[in-house]
Amino acid sequence: MAPSEIVSRAASAGMDGIALTDHQSARNTPAMAECARRAGLKCLFGLEVQTAEEVHTLAIFDTPEQALAMTDWVYDALPKRVNDPDTFGDQPVVTADNDIVEMEWRILAMGCRRNIPETSEKTRELGGLYIAAHIDRPNYSVVSGLGAVPEGFFDAIELSRTADETAWLPRSGGLAAVRSSDAHNLEDVARVWTEADISEFSVSALKQAFASRATRLSPRLTSF
Amino acid sequence: MSITELAEKVGGTIVVDKPGAAIRFAYASDLLSDVMGHCGEESVLVTIQNHLNTIAVCTLDGIEAIVICHDRPVPDDMKAAAEREEVAIVTTSLSQFEASVALASLPPSRK
Repeated sequence: MAPSEIVSRAASAGMDGIALTDHQSARNTPAMAECARRAGLKCLFGLEVQTAEEVHTLAIFDTPEQALAMTDWVYDALPKRVNDPDTFGDQPVVTADNDIVEMEWRILAMGCRRNIPETSEKTRELGGLYIAAHIDRPNYSVVSGLGAVPEGFFDAIELSRTADETAWLPRSGGLAAVRSSDAHNLEDVARVWTEADISEFSVSALKQAFASRATRLSPRLTSF
Repeated sequence: MSITELAEKVGGTIVVDKPGAAIRFAYASDLLSDVMGHCGEESVLVTIQNHLNTIAVCTLDGIEAIVICHDRPVPDDMKAAAEREEVAIVTTSLSQFEASVALASLPPSRK
């Protein structure tokens, strides 16, 4: 799934903006920024941090530089093991033209030693949004791992593409919700989305929309 | 200990068998990063983590078998990966504590 393909699929599906959040790494965000710039699509840049609690959380920033600073901080706390591509797949770092620059050697499939409070604090220090990922999923979510959305750390919660919002919004800890595709392959890009009346596609505008709970979720899908 | 003996001890069901497996150690944990840090080869892992990544960790670290507690279902993709990677799966209605007690004759797995 090359950044250029993600951008072109999202643009043709009519998305106004997207965010790239690879697992434990934002090393492909510079390529994504260039692809988005070429296509005139707005983009935010982040990573899905798998915390020490083995919970998936999204740290999202305005620029690749911020996302890469966050990545360095996460990398410092990853298990010092080399990825096994046969088990976890290849981890290419690419250019906007989809040339492979290098293969990331670190094992990105595992959790890091940073916990949710630390990760929340670091994300905010770097100027980002911190979102509890797919809280309706049976694995790797704050609800499956911790029982509930902990208070004080997140700007919003994310629902997966099949989540029934009438069942899950009451469990959001009072936070605004987004629905996103969590796409792991091209076909899933932009199948669901979130709407908000914002003046610009930026972290600060989204923070305001989240604070006033001014988000609207696309219809959910009936199968994952 | 064979997979058949393992299933008998925890009163469980063999979902994926591994004939010829010889389990010598045991470990119980629900944090896969902790499993990676501490669970060694020739072991059985007692856990509630019923998903694909559990198989990946077993493959990386030479863990022979998984006991999934509380009768959690084994998803199809997890079962297929276990068959491919030759990792046995036994499900049981027992809790992690009860399953560990049932397997207490095995020494703790260490790295």
